[in-house]
Amino acid sequence: MTHHRHSQQSAPLIEMRDVHKSFGANAVLNGVSLSVRDGGVVCIIGPSGSGKSTILRCINGLMSIDRGTIRVGSFAVETLKSDKALVPLRHQVAMVFQQYNLFPHRTVLQNLTMAPVQVLGEKPAAVRERALALLAKVRLTGKQDAYPGELSGGQQQRVAIARALAMQPNVILFDEVTAALDPEMVSEVLNVIRDLAREGMTCVLVTHEMRFAQEVADEVFFTDRGVIVEHGPPGTLFQNPTDPRLKAFLEKVL
Amino acid sequence: MNAELKLFALGTVGVTFVLAALLVTVYGAETGRVLQALAMRTPLLLSGSPDFSRFEGGFAANIVISVWAMMIAAVAGTALGIGMISQSVLVRAPSVLLMNVLRNSPWLVVLYAMLYLLPFEIEAFGTIFSFSPVIKAIIGLALPVTANIAEVFRGGVEAVPTGQWESARSLGYRRLQILRRVVVPQAIQFMTPNLMTTYAMLFIGTSLVVVTGANDILSVARTVIASDGAHYATAIYLYVLFLFFLFCFPIAILTRWLEQRVRVRQ
Repeated sequence: MTHHRHSQQSAPLIEMRDVHKSFGANAVLNGVSLSVRDGGVVCIIGPSGSGKSTILRCINGLMSIDRGTIRVGSFAVETLKSDKALVPLRHQVAMVFQQYNLFPHRTVLQNLTMAPVQVLGEKPAAVRERALALLAKVRLTGKQDAYPGELSGGQQQRVAIARALAMQPNVILFDEVTAALDPEMVSEVLNVIRDLAREGMTCVLVTHEMRFAQEVADEVFFTDRGVIVEHGPPGTLFQNPTDPRLKAFLEKVL
Repeated sequence: MNAELKLFALGTVGVTFVLAALLVTVYGAETGRVLQALAMRTPLLLSGSPDFSRFEGGFAANIVISVWAMMIAAVAGTALGIGMISQSVLVRAPSVLLMNVLRNSPWLVVLYAMLYLLPFEIEAFGTIFSFSPVIKAIIGLALPVTANIAEVFRGGVEAVPTGQWESARSLGYRRLQILRRVVVPQAIQFMTPNLMTTYAMLFIGTSLVVVTGANDILSVARTVIASDGAHYATAIYLYVLFLFFLFCFPIAILTRWLEQRVRVRQ
């Protein structure tokens, strides 16, 4: 690999250092550190309630942190306090949710074009063209005038991915995006994510799809009780886990 | 809609029949003459003028007052509702307090208060604004209704799943933008039936404005009774009741229908 995005030396695109976060008395993150290089595909695995989704929500500033630092590109996320200050970050970091969270009162195409036009102030005609191309990319050509409620779960999730891409982000955060899907629809969504990963989009995935993590990730992080217990390339992590908690977890899910 | 149409037909016929029966019970053989008298006074009761030449009093005044009060309360109630869900406690706390004060004020008391709180006229920007009884009535009714609408707004906004806020925020939308572009358009369907019920309540409440001296239907009714004789009082008040029923019942039916539709769509 000669492309600079794939060189290991360049500074990481995302870097979390010693991040702490509590909800009241409930400590969810107890000193999380992780880094993701530009173009990297990272999977976060771990038991439910271990803080995986919270990590994602801290990266794009949906949740503020109590301690530590988060850097995304040139942004020091923990210093951005208002929604207004967070707009440029959210332009760079898009997110896809477990429950799709599409806007049900808008058509598929409008779901894609709303934010680029209303938030980023881009020209509607250009955004529309880009949105149609993105719908083709997620294999939903012809569905632009449908409402989200008329689509299957897998189709809605692909619209949500296209909506994230319409912001032209550098990073996409995927929060258990196949967890709410019927089994037969999981692969159509994973295929789209696989394509993105291959094209060099920086992806951070919280997932329960171990096989998929093994296939696409260049690094896997295992979280438990709010800390990163172990991390490494998927081959090592899945085949030769060292931490007993990871071993027990893998025995249960594999 | 069919079930509601049936209910509407039954309700209208039923109430008309009951009121007619009451009329006959009270007036017996005289009923025909009383009905004739009511027919003669109908223009005055409906429009405040004996020949429908103007619509400044009577039932028309109740409608005008209710529409203005509702429009003012809709704007003020939305603003208060936004204040009640603000993230800043400095905005939220006073908004919630104000809402509770207004919502727990008896309407009649607020209307009486308007008589003394609002001056006869004020001078602002070089013009003199005078507070006519109708304006006092509109403001007096708009105040408690503002609180009701603020609550309806808050309830509607909270009925929209939080995932909508989260995804809109992750797309870079700010709070007020999210309300305007994402949440309120979805909340409208939850709010509409409640807003219509609020309006129906407000309309019934316009019968109280007689205390401000506004020339509403009740004030006209009293004038008519004074001139035609107390003998007609029962008939006239039954007639006024009937008019209120005719105005509010369709709203109630439409509200039910909308509620059903929202339930089906979910």
